[in-house]
Amino acid sequence: MDRGNHSAALSSAWSRYVHLTRHAFKMEFRQKNGLAGLVLFAIASVYTCYQVAGSRADVDAWNSLAWVVLLFSAFNAVSKPWPEDSAEMRAYLVHVVKPQEWILARITFFSLLLSALTCIVFVAFTLFLGSEHLNGKQGLSFFLGMQCTSIAMASLLAMIQALAIRANGGFGLIAVLGLPLIIPVILIATRYGMDILNGISFADTAHNLLFLATLSGGFGALGYILFPYLWND
Amino acid sequence: MAHNVWKIGGFALITYVLVMVFVVPMGPGLLELRSTEGTFISEEMERPIPEYFLTGFATHWNEAPDQLSVIVRSQSNLVQLQVIEVLDDTHARIGVSLPYSLPSKSWDVLINHPVDGTLLLENGLFLSDRFIDESLALPALAIEEFAADLPFHFPYQPRILETIRNLMLHVPMWFTMFVLMGIAFVASIKQLATSRSMVEDEKAEASVKAGLLFGILGLITCSVWARFTWGAWWVDDPQLNGALVTVLVYSGYIVLRNSIDNAPLRARLSAVYNLFAFIILIILLMVLPRFTESLHPGKGGNPGFNSYDLDSALRAAFYPAVIGWILIGIWMYRVNLRFTRLNKLLK
Repeated sequence: MDRGNHSAALSSAWSRYVHLTRHAFKMEFRQKNGLAGLVLFAIASVYTCYQVAGSRADVDAWNSLAWVVLLFSAFNAVSKPWPEDSAEMRAYLVHVVKPQEWILARITFFSLLLSALTCIVFVAFTLFLGSEHLNGKQGLSFFLGMQCTSIAMASLLAMIQALAIRANGGFGLIAVLGLPLIIPVILIATRYGMDILNGISFADTAHNLLFLATLSGGFGALGYILFPYLWND
Repeated sequence: MAHNVWKIGGFALITYVLVMVFVVPMGPGLLELRSTEGTFISEEMERPIPEYFLTGFATHWNEAPDQLSVIVRSQSNLVQLQVIEVLDDTHARIGVSLPYSLPSKSWDVLINHPVDGTLLLENGLFLSDRFIDESLALPALAIEEFAADLPFHFPYQPRILETIRNLMLHVPMWFTMFVLMGIAFVASIKQLATSRSMVEDEKAEASVKAGLLFGILGLITCSVWARFTWGAWWVDDPQLNGALVTVLVYSGYIVLRNSIDNAPLRARLSAVYNLFAFIILIILLMVLPRFTESLHPGKGGNPGFNSYDLDSALRAAFYPAVIGWILIGIWMYRVNLRFTRLNKLLK
């Protein structure tokens, strides 16, 4: 294959990937009640935390509640089965879509979805539970950590969701399979958040973000390699 | 017979290890030098001296009660204490007659005994009601050192004491789990590569089940040990959390298997999940604990033993224990595998 063909193949793979990602969003936006449900769930969990901890939660409680809300919102976001996962749709899609491009599109979709959800959680959280533990710069660092965490969660949960749905299990199976696997991500994230809240400078705790990025890359690579085995019959 | 040598070897090693664990005596150590709040006076003394109670661990003072000598040390200052009475092998009454002006408040306690040799209790004596003058030098003292003359024994470790025997029952569980999960990992990769045959899937299942058993045993021995040395059945430690999460992850594997009826699909999905599980095991047990403060030996400033404390007696029991438990684990995995296959034939 000469160079021109190669780059053409690459660019068409890219355009298929972009198309699949856009398709995922289109499907999601068609069901506005699903999106509204996610937002409502996130805000309701934040509000529950506010009712439980009050607006004067100490640093430990503030940090742990923030990550727990993010974690459960993420699980809620991936719990919905996709119409493309039904046996009939898959039988068709196997012939027109490459599984690797499909999983990358799914990971991208979930990353963007969880990023948006993270913004909502963060705003709602600082609104209800107060932002007295964070000054402007800390807030930015904390938000950055939440974004990295949501990408790491997306790259793992996209695969776990596909696996659980393929096994005909519902939300319960996603939780049983996903929660233990996500714990390293949450451990790193809470440690990072605690460092930020305790006033440790961003440069001294940024290695945690590097861990998260490594985990995202690792999960993404595993998904890329293994998804074809889920997808094909 | 020839192909069963390793099973017999494993069984023999475990028998040897269990005998070692429960039979080898502990090495001597000092537990505490505690004030009785009372005083002691004898005929030749002018005034009463405060009486202390010295407690040893696995010592043999009764074998030569006259030759027990107790010394306190602070930097280069040495003071001989009076042994009032040796009560039994591990208890003695001590008279502490130190002058009012001292170079330090805190003193190391040393005992010298022909059987136990020289034993040290760091900062064992603390005197808060004395006048402290750091430039003070006490009169020099000549002491005779004894070399310990003890049979084969496990080393004394402060706070760990007898539970050092658990080393041979707790640590090899994790090594064995690692090996079994590694077998499952390789089997899962092969399963994904071959696709049609179910042989590798059966191997992965049997291996994970055996490994999970060792993981649970590891958690139980961990909990018992943590209760003794760290004071709680469960402590917040990256190694403990990692171990528990690993067990949860592999329980998820069993749940996943049971929720799929279609055998080829089950083989494929559980193989995919197993690869994730093994990667997480590596991250949780080998990567993350290195970046966190831990109570476990060799990490952070904890009072436990590190690899330098593994003395020859522990080595003689620990290395056979690791090999023995791994062999037993592999044996269990193979029995499990045959059991699964027979069950399948029966259906």
